[in-house]
Amino acid sequence: MTRRAPALALALALAACATTPSPPEPVELTVYAAASLRNALEQVEAAYEIAAPGINLVIATDSSAALRTQIEQGAPADVFLSADLGNPQQLYDAGLADGEITIFAGNTVVLIVPFDTPAAIRTPADLARDEVRIVAAGDEVPISKYVSNVVYVLARLAGYPADFSNAYAANVVSREDNVQAVVAKIELGEGDAAFVYQTDALASGSVRTVPIPDEANVQAHYAGVVMTTSAHPEAARAFLHWLTGPDGRAILAEFGFLPPS
Amino acid sequence: MTTRVPAALLVVFLALPVGFLVVQAFAGRAMTDAIANPAVRDALVLSLLTTTVSLVIIVALGTPLALLLARGRFPGRALVETVVDLPIVLPPSVAGLALLLVFGTRGALGGALEVAGISIPFTTLAVVLAQVFVAAPFFVRAARAGLANVDRQLEDAARDLGAGERQVARHVTLPLAAPALAAGLVLCWSRALGEFGATIMFAGNVPGRTQTLPLVVYGEFQAGDLEASIAAAAILILAAFGVLLAVRTLNWRRALDLRAGG
Repeated sequence: MTRRAPALALALALAACATTPSPPEPVELTVYAAASLRNALEQVEAAYEIAAPGINLVIATDSSAALRTQIEQGAPADVFLSADLGNPQQLYDAGLADGEITIFAGNTVVLIVPFDTPAAIRTPADLARDEVRIVAAGDEVPISKYVSNVVYVLARLAGYPADFSNAYAANVVSREDNVQAVVAKIELGEGDAAFVYQTDALASGSVRTVPIPDEANVQAHYAGVVMTTSAHPEAARAFLHWLTGPDGRAILAEFGFLPPS
Repeated sequence: MTTRVPAALLVVFLALPVGFLVVQAFAGRAMTDAIANPAVRDALVLSLLTTTVSLVIIVALGTPLALLLARGRFPGRALVETVVDLPIVLPPSVAGLALLLVFGTRGALGGALEVAGISIPFTTLAVVLAQVFVAAPFFVRAARAGLANVDRQLEDAARDLGAGERQVARHVTLPLAAPALAAGLVLCWSRALGEFGATIMFAGNVPGRTQTLPLVVYGEFQAGDLEASIAAAAILILAAFGVLLAVRTLNWRRALDLRAGG
């Protein structure tokens, strides 16, 4: 008996913690969002909580792929804002997303270098030089798909070495979990160059941008979905709708995001 | 001379990064800004709350287990001891993944829990479970060692004087083992407070819900807010330092010696 009592106590504690209280009070919407949206979403949160009284946004940011995995494993998200179309599509295919996938913003890729860079990178072609330390995101992070596109096209441009793709890959010294971490490594001088989103470059005060030829650049699509497991699907849809409306777009534009195309 | 140089080198290496971080945190406005930063404040509150709940669970379940391991003779005892020690040497990310595979929505117990209307992963409860998993061994080990060292003759003497088992435990066994139990508790608390890997895998990184202080250190660094990251780290260093200092001044050193666990 005495040895069983603790087990019973644990079971009771578990039950007490796990039952979600029914909320007649403010509706809490949990938004899982791509790391590159973090700064913009701080402003979105402030604006939306005024526009929609009674709604409290809780925003968690990480790489879109990491968040997708968490949602698949039961993370209680109401809305998922991804830096690509693929991750929301996978959730949709798994029956975890409700309604349609909404593209709410676009972004482009830029090359960043530290202000006082010893490697003196003037064009993306310099990335193929031997001593350059490139910081990249992990393969599963959405930007990596866009970057491989960029690198693929660059390699075929005049003035770029034939083995540009291989030379680029060989110079990658670190692979980060998300784009914000890539920017942080460049800011700290732990790398000489990195491809990041234009919005990240704009947000950072301590990196310089090196232009990429227009014909090599790509447009990233940011897409959002409402989760089927959401306890407040109506409120979640209303938020996603607002984000694609004039108020949401104005804030996103302020942070360098392009309108959806 | 020949021993002092390498010895000093290692001490400097161990002290410098930690000391520099604390200086950095207090030299600028990082600390005052951080306390005003809702992410740091929420995480501090969440860390204190979850570690308290974890400690209650660990003491409630761990004390009977420690008693059993210190006193009992039963088949499979060595296996039980190994299982209890395992989380100490296991990488926390492995612990987090394993917890997810059992308690996750698609995990071994996920279906049964869902029927019961309980969802654990990526909730505050998941933070607590991760802490209990990684920190409980520290308490059980220390408590087992302390209880094993209690002189059985004193207990028998109490029994001869007419004390019941409950009275023996309350007035003889537990007070004699108290320094060991307290040392175990303090170590266990600091391990729970510092828990990162299992938490981020099993509970995620949601502000106010699962984002404890160590996750702020990581999250704010990733997001480029080095100041907030440093401040959260400084709080953790001071807490850890305080714990070790407390253990020393209260003369619990012997209980801290893990070799005593046998």
